[in-house]
Amino acid sequence: MKVVIVGAGEVGFHVASRLSHENKDVVVIDKDGDAIRRISDNIDVQVITGSGSSPVSLEEAGIKEAEILLAVTNSDETNLVACLVANIISPYTKKLARIRNADFDKYHAIFRDHAPHIDTLINPEIEVVKTIDRLMNMPGAVDVGNFANGRVKFIGINLDKEARLAGSRLDEIPALLGKQGPLIAAVIRDEELIIPSGDDRLMPGDLVYFISEEDKILDTLTIFDKHAEPVKRVLIVGGGRIGSRLAVLLDDKHVYTKIIEKNPDRCAKLAEKLNKVVVLHGDGSDQGLLKEENVQETDFVITLTNDEEINILASLLAKRMGARKTITKISKFSYFSLMSMVGIEQVVSPRLSAINTILQHIRRGKVLSSISIKGEQAEFMEAVALETSEIVGKPLKNISFPKGALVTSIIRNDNIVIPSGDSIIEPDDRIIIFATRQAIPKIEKILTVKLEYF
Amino acid sequence: MRWRYILNVVGILTLFFGLTMLFPIAVAFYYKDQSVIPFLKSIGITTFAGLLLHLCFRGSRVEIITQREGMAIVSIGWITIGIFGALPFYLGGEFITFVDAFFESVSGVTTTGASVLTNIEAVSKGLLFWRSFIQWLGGMGIIVLSIAILPFLGVGGMQLYKAEVPSPTPDKLRPRIKDTALLLWKVYVLISLLGAILLLIGGMSFYDALCHTFTTMPTGGFSTKNASIAHFDSVYFDSVIIIFMLLAGINFSLHYQMLRGKTLAFWKDSECRFFLGTIILLIAIVTFNIHGAVYENICQALRYGAFQVVSIITTTGYATADFDQWPAMSKLILLLCMFMGASAGSTGGGMKFLRVMLYFKYCYKELFSMIHPRSVTHIKIGGKVVPEDVTRSVLGFLGLYMGLFVLCSVVLAGMGVDFVTSFSAVAATIGNVGPGFANVGPALNYAQMPYLGKWLLIWCMLLGRLEIYTIIIFLVPEFWRK
Repeated sequence: MKVVIVGAGEVGFHVASRLSHENKDVVVIDKDGDAIRRISDNIDVQVITGSGSSPVSLEEAGIKEAEILLAVTNSDETNLVACLVANIISPYTKKLARIRNADFDKYHAIFRDHAPHIDTLINPEIEVVKTIDRLMNMPGAVDVGNFANGRVKFIGINLDKEARLAGSRLDEIPALLGKQGPLIAAVIRDEELIIPSGDDRLMPGDLVYFISEEDKILDTLTIFDKHAEPVKRVLIVGGGRIGSRLAVLLDDKHVYTKIIEKNPDRCAKLAEKLNKVVVLHGDGSDQGLLKEENVQETDFVITLTNDEEINILASLLAKRMGARKTITKISKFSYFSLMSMVGIEQVVSPRLSAINTILQHIRRGKVLSSISIKGEQAEFMEAVALETSEIVGKPLKNISFPKGALVTSIIRNDNIVIPSGDSIIEPDDRIIIFATRQAIPKIEKILTVKLEYF
Repeated sequence: MRWRYILNVVGILTLFFGLTMLFPIAVAFYYKDQSVIPFLKSIGITTFAGLLLHLCFRGSRVEIITQREGMAIVSIGWITIGIFGALPFYLGGEFITFVDAFFESVSGVTTTGASVLTNIEAVSKGLLFWRSFIQWLGGMGIIVLSIAILPFLGVGGMQLYKAEVPSPTPDKLRPRIKDTALLLWKVYVLISLLGAILLLIGGMSFYDALCHTFTTMPTGGFSTKNASIAHFDSVYFDSVIIIFMLLAGINFSLHYQMLRGKTLAFWKDSECRFFLGTIILLIAIVTFNIHGAVYENICQALRYGAFQVVSIITTTGYATADFDQWPAMSKLILLLCMFMGASAGSTGGGMKFLRVMLYFKYCYKELFSMIHPRSVTHIKIGGKVVPEDVTRSVLGFLGLYMGLFVLCSVVLAGMGVDFVTSFSAVAATIGNVGPGFANVGPALNYAQMPYLGKWLLIWCMLLGRLEIYTIIIFLVPEFWRK
């Protein structure tokens, strides 16, 4: 499968790296020679220096044979033109574009059905706001993802020292709780991914990933000693595009929200747009201002400025001054592994959101969506079991699954089953699979239709 | 520097190289000659050494190879292959000292074609086949071959590819490096096959046709005959070999484009135009120069002149005439050819036409900006602007090439070798050509070189094949700093 990526920025780089690891043919186009060199030095892909919206570069990249075009430059206009040009040269190529300007929000459907025929428009800001909303409603969760329209979620939590389950073996958990515990798909300990078996122990400080149905989530979280507390007061630092989208959302939900923004013009615009939200002009890392605005009484401080270092420091400051929880926006991937070390738990990243959205559209077979967990070592994938694929019709234990892959749930006629070795997947079931990066190509193969049926 | 990983990869390469010895063993068995035992010993030693290295240092998996590590793997790999390639020669008893066997082996894998053998026809068929076969492996590159068929290199392949492929800016023909390498080898095998068939049609024996194809396509120049191609004395063979030497001297990505149906690919590429144009011009000059002085007949002058110019400029090194006896002007033109070399991305050696062309354009740009001091100009090749850093690296390369040529010639002369012999021997080995002038001329060979001189020339051959930087970087103290 050939994929052409326009834009060698952080998103382009990471998607290219992921796809090349999965043995796909990737061609990256960018104007910036340095960005191109960074890609060609680190990833096994073809590179072309040139403008991604130019028909010449796109033809050179072989857009005609490409199955997918990804337009992820910083400029919405370049992305749109690249799709437009690709639509002329190669109408059958699937097109994905990142469009950030909120003015285009209402036109996503039109772009799909008319001229550029962009199959998917990705707005990472909308995705980030959704993620923040999910994190706020999930006490203690560090990472949340939705499947089956939100009816099944995967959740990542940090196990506290005082938690009941800390130190216990997985096969002891049912006895400890007196009932079946949640399905633990993965544990991240010291940045290393572990797929636990019955005799592995949960240790304090582990990042534990599990799957749960939506209506049982709060019960499940109490197992890990995370208790729901209603969100009443929120302070947003940074009134940029994400900040104002979030403020609008919280405004509608009647959460008491304050927003701090440095730029006075921007403040004026925010005040114009928002009704009950308190718009404050000032610096989010100003201790005096935070104190004045009662940061110690706040449930959530969410730092969303464009400067990630300021976000990190403002979150730390707020936490120290007594804010209950913080959510920090970070773009640089190299910072992710540092976050738990400095004491920042919940992190969102527009780029990671964009990458997740892109990947779920690239997956083969009947994959409906796929979401990477923190650190991108593994993915949860939701897929429809095709009648002709290898996984249907026999007990799970008889299927040769690659190492590092696990069926975490089966959704059949609105019922959710947590499978055991004897479970059988039936045609048209939806399944949620957890797979490490190495196992993904094999899983894709298993999910696609067997060749003899063609 | 992760030495464990580097040695692990070198181990795999050695193991792989050892397995290629199965081909000459088959030949030796077929002709029932005395080289079977030495080959069996060599394959045993080589595969065992490779396996040992691999097993000792296994378990060190890495995702990304740095440029420095790539260069280390390639140069250590080539030296190792040179050593193990020498085993059959040494154990076969044709060579008295190991340095002679090593010289022949490195001359083979680097596609130089300089020999220390005085009577080639007395050597067993199995060994002569091996001599040709290692040239063929080295031509497109043993590491490119391993990238193509061994799955272990993965992402790091690009660094290795860059360090081995003779071009200032290696092309990536397909998105994945593995596919690119495989494609290059497919094109290489295809053209080789065509060459072998044409030689067979001309009536050459199957063995000779195969051996000569194996040394024409990598622009190597080893022959199975004492008199080289002159032995056959046939216009047909001369012209077939001229054509295939030219093909081997052209960038292989152009062959790929040709095979994909872009028939004008050769013409559209400015380097290829320059390459073929220069050859025609030089052939004309040499023909007129040797006409009358050596050959009475103009057709004969053209036949020998054309063969020799093409053979030297593509750095093959076959001979159909003793060009050491030609007039000074022709000899100087052939010397110039040794430096220019073939095209970038071909199997030939030398400086490469792309670099020479870039150098001329750079000089013109300098002159131009003296006339128009405020002008803004770029160096363009084929309508595309050449990035500043590529120009800089090319100028550095040319400087180093000439500098090392002078230095090595002086050192060789210091060992008591005469004037013409010493500089032509260095020019012919650093350019991977083979024969030089005077005592290393086409009628003679490198057997009389002093002991240390042979080591120096071995180093020159490796320098030339891996394009200076990959080898010379080992001598820079900064390279070893942690």
